[in-house]
Order: sequence, then C-alpha cells, then structure tokens
Amino acid sequence: MRHDLSLAGPAFRLRPITDADAPLVLELRGDPKRSRYLHAISRSLDDQLAWFTRYYERPGDYYFVIERQESGAAEGLISIYDVDPQAECGEWGRWSLRPGSLAAVESAWLIYRCSFEQLGLKRVFSRTVAENVSVVSFHDSCGITAKRLLPGHFDLGGKRADAVEHEVTREMWIVLNPRLQKLAELTAPRVRRG
Amino acid sequence: MDRHQIETVVLAVLASMLKREVDLNTSRDNTPQWDSLKHIEIIFAVEDELHIEFSEEEMATLDSVANIVDLAITSHAT
Repeated sequence: MRHDLSLAGPAFRLRPITDADAPLVLELRGDPKRSRYLHAISRSLDDQLAWFTRYYERPGDYYFVIERQESGAAEGLISIYDVDPQAECGEWGRWSLRPGSLAAVESAWLIYRCSFEQLGLKRVFSRTVAENVSVVSFHDSCGITAKRLLPGHFDLGGKRADAVEHEVTREMWIVLNPRLQKLAELTAPRVRRG
Repeated sequence: MDRHQIETVVLAVLASMLKREVDLNTSRDNTPQWDSLKHIEIIFAVEDELHIEFSEEEMATLDSVANIVDLAITSHAT
C-alpha cells in the first residue's frame, strides 16, 4: 500500500518503495541463485510496475527499500505484509540484500521496530523455506525461540516446500531488541567508513 | 603472531560462536549456521583477539576460515 513510514538506524534506513525502485527489485529478486527461496518474479519492468500498482492498493502491505544513511545508496529490500489490524499481527519478508551487505542485522532490527513501535503490532512472524538453512539460522541467532514447521507451506515454481515460522511477540521483542541494537551500533561505524 | 597462531585463534573463535567443530576448510558455503548475524559476531571476536580491524569491504570477503586467516596475516604484517 502507499505509505509514508520511514525508520532510521545507525547506518541504514527504511523508506517506502516507489516505481523508481522497480529496476532495483529486478536486480535483487531477478538473480535466480539468490532468489531461489523467494517467490519467483517476472523479469519485465512493465510487470514489476504493474505489480507495484496492485501493491499500492493493497492494505496492510508495507514495502521498503533499505538504503545507506550517508549516501542514500540502496542496499536491499524488506517488507511487512498481511498486517491484520484486528489481530494486531503481520508477517515480514521479501528480504533481499546486496551480496556482502552488512545490513542484515540492522534491517531486521528496523523492521521489528517498525512492526512494534510504528504499527503497534502485538506479534510478528517470518516464514522461511526450511531448506534455506542460513536464513533459518539467522532467525535462531536473533534469539527467537518460538518456531514451528509448516509442511508444504510454500509453492515455489509449482513445487511445495516446507516453511519454518519464527514468531516474535511484543514481550519477546523487549528481550531481543537490545542485542540486535547493539550489533547494529557496533557495525555502523564500519559501514560509515566504507 | 605466525600463521599457526592466527589459525588457532580463528578456529577457536569459530568453534565457540558456531558451537560445532570447525577446520581450515570451514566456510559459509558449507556451514549454513554461519549466518549473517553470526558472521558479524565472529568477525568482531576475531578482531578483538588479534587486535586488528577489517574494513567493510574486507568483511564481505571473509566467508571462510582460510580467507579470515589470510587477511588477518596481511593485517598483522601492515
């Protein structure tokens, strides 16, 4: 949906995605190797712009570009979607970063802050293809202990794939937040120096 | 510090952070538990132990024990 949420951390910030970012989406999501665990997208710019048009009208969907604070250079993409105002929950994903990026921890920290502080949600979950062990491990490393297997949850190119769901409640976030914040702050000087 | 001492430090840091056995062939490609968050913690711990500091550009290349050891040796020499 069209939104005006922005959030800044020590080195990176989230800003709303726009039509001008369509080439970035194609660049990051179009690489079949890096996107093999994400839903496939069309490589056509027109198709991406048409997707944006539908996205702008879809309630409860907040798509962001992750960019460097100092230069404004785009570093990746991240979203929170399927936000249910009644249940006060949502899912985050569409997470894609440039190879070698140091924005992983900070962008995850920012999307949780957006979820709990700006959207006022009570719980947020992420669903990762179970075979994508390094991303499952990332969520584990964040300290998230509430997780479960969702058999056959994803449809990836016509094949069913299991998902691992990690859930963070507002109460859990109070515990997880300081460690992610500290790591983001420790990493930031390195990013600013380049 | 010589190469052997640096290897010993790097392997000890990785084993501690990843909570598993590691060797000189361990890399992010063959160790999915070496995730993006652990990577930051590993690099900071290696830097603390060896009193060196990697640049952002260098950190992106430190995706294996061998690469960390090689760059740590270079950093020690300069």
